[in-house]
Amino acid sequence: MWRSARGAWLALVMAGAANAAPPPPLQAEHLVLARLPAPSPHWLWVYDEANNNETDMRLYLYDGDSHRQLGQIDAGYYPSPAFSPDGKTTAVATTYFARGSHGARTDVVEFTDNATLSVSGEIVLPPKHAQAIPLYGAGYSADAKFLYVLSLNPAAAFTVVDLAKRAVAGEIDTDGCVLVIPSAPHRVSSLCESGRMLTVTLDDAGHEASRKLSAPFFSVDKDPIFVQGMNTASGIAFLSFLGDVYGVDLGAAEPQFAPVWATTTAAERGKWRPGGSQVGAWNSRTGRLYVPMHLGGPGSHKIGGTEVWVFDTATHRRVGRWPIDVKKYGSTQAIQVSQDDRPLLFIATDTSYLLTLDAASGRLLHAEPKMGQSPWYLFNP
Amino acid sequence: MQERLDRLAERAARGLARHTSRRGFLSAFGRVLTGAALVPLLPVMRGSQAQAAEHAAKAKAETTDPNSCEYWKFCAIDGFLCGCCGGSSSSCPPGTQQSPITWIGTCHNPADGRDYIMSYNDCCGKTSCGSCFCNRNEGEKPMYRLSLNNDVNWCMANDNPNYHCSVSVVLGVAGK
Repeated sequence: MWRSARGAWLALVMAGAANAAPPPPLQAEHLVLARLPAPSPHWLWVYDEANNNETDMRLYLYDGDSHRQLGQIDAGYYPSPAFSPDGKTTAVATTYFARGSHGARTDVVEFTDNATLSVSGEIVLPPKHAQAIPLYGAGYSADAKFLYVLSLNPAAAFTVVDLAKRAVAGEIDTDGCVLVIPSAPHRVSSLCESGRMLTVTLDDAGHEASRKLSAPFFSVDKDPIFVQGMNTASGIAFLSFLGDVYGVDLGAAEPQFAPVWATTTAAERGKWRPGGSQVGAWNSRTGRLYVPMHLGGPGSHKIGGTEVWVFDTATHRRVGRWPIDVKKYGSTQAIQVSQDDRPLLFIATDTSYLLTLDAASGRLLHAEPKMGQSPWYLFNP
Repeated sequence: MQERLDRLAERAARGLARHTSRRGFLSAFGRVLTGAALVPLLPVMRGSQAQAAEHAAKAKAETTDPNSCEYWKFCAIDGFLCGCCGGSSSSCPPGTQQSPITWIGTCHNPADGRDYIMSYNDCCGKTSCGSCFCNRNEGEKPMYRLSLNNDVNWCMANDNPNYHCSVSVVLGVAGK
C-alpha cells in the first residue's frame, strides 16, 4: 500500500515537471550611475594606507547602518584628508608622480563633492606636503576660509591655502613643531618636541599675525603623548603611551590644559596600554571615550588592542571593558565613534576587518571582512 | 642623565633654528641625522640608549636570520626589510636611492652583549617592496621627536620620495 502511494506521488511530480513552463527571461538592464543616499552620521571614511603599493592610497565611504561600501576617493601618496565644516566637501592633500611611482612630483589638494564623489577642483601645493600619519595633517578653518596643510621635508611648516582665491596664501614655519590643529577663528596649533604647544594666529590674508609657545604640558621622555589626537567639544584630547588623557581647550587665544587623568588603575599602569595606529575615539555628545588597550611593555605602543575600554569623560570612570575576538578578527588597529546620540563604534583590525558595534552596549552589529588592504585610520565625515 | 641630555639636544636644536636660516637649519639637521662620524654629537640617541637597551634585552632578539623581523638590528624598524627586496639589512636594492636622512635607534645584540646605535635609512625611488613587513618600536617616539620616529616617510627629502624598503645600518657601539 505504502509503495503504491509513493509511486503515484512520484508520477504526479514528474508529470508536473514535464509540463512546467520555463521561467521568464531576465529583463534587459540599463547601466546607470548609482547615487549616494542622503548623508548619515553613521557614514565612515576608511583610510586604506595600501601598504604594499603606497602610491595608490584611498578613502572608502562606508555606511554603518546598511553595512555597505558606498564609494571611494582615490587619494594618491600619503594623503591627508580634511572635511569641510558644512560636510559637503572632502579635501585631500596628497602627492602624485607623473609616471606612477616616478616622474615629476606634484603635491596638490584635491576637492571631492561629497554628494557625487566626483573631483570638483584642485589647488597645487609646494612639493613638501608631509608624508606622515594623516590625522591632523590637513584641516579647514572653522569658517572654511582657509585650508591648512602640514609640510615636512624635514623642516616642519604648514601651507595656508586661501579657498576663496583658490591659491596658496603662504607658508608658516613652525620651528620643528608638527600637526595642524585648527581652532576658530584662524588659529593653528602644533605639538613640539619640548612638550609644548605652538599656536600661530593668522590675519585675514592668511599670513602670520602672532605666535605663542605654551608651557610644557607633557613629557616626551617620561610618557610621550600619541600624535593621534581626538576632537572634543572644546578642542582636542591626546592619550599618552601609559594611557593618561591630556585635554586641551582651544576656545581661547591660548590653549588651556585640563588636569591630566588616567585610564588605568595603579595596578594596571604600565601593563595595560593604548596602542595601534589610531588609539582612541571620543564622542562629544555622550562624553564617552573609547580606548583600545593591550597587555604590553615599553615599545608596544603600535600593538593593537585586545579590549576596548570605555570611559565617562566627565567622571573619568571606566564604564565598560569590551574584549575583542582577536582570534577571529585580529587586534584593534584603528577606532572611531560616530558623533550622534545613538552612536556606532567602528573598529579596523590588523587583519582588515571593519567591525561595527553599538557604542552604548558594545554589542557587535556587523563584521565586514577585507575592508581594504591596510585600514589604519577611520574618519567621521 | 637622559633628561639632561635630551634638554641639551632640545636647546641645541632650538639654537640652530633660531640662529640659522631655514636652509641652514635643514643642512645642520641633515648632518645630525646622517653622519656616522658625528655619532658623539647625538645626545638624543645617547639619551635614549639606556631605555632602548632595556627594552631590547627583554625582547627575544634573533641573531642568525637577517630577514627575520626578530633580528636584533630591527628593534625600531617600521617597513619592508630590504633583504627581502634585493638588498640586505645594510644595502639598498638595485635601482633605488638611499635616503640621506634617517631615524635612529639603539639595539642590543645578544650575540656579543653590546648595544649598538642604528641608522634606519629608507631606500627610495620605487613603490613599496611589499615583502617582509616589520614593525618594531623599541625607543621609538612620536613625530614631534622626528629623529626617533619611524612613522614618517624618510624618503621625504629625496628627488623621488617613493618609499621602497628599510635598512638598519650599524653606526657604532653605544657608549656607556
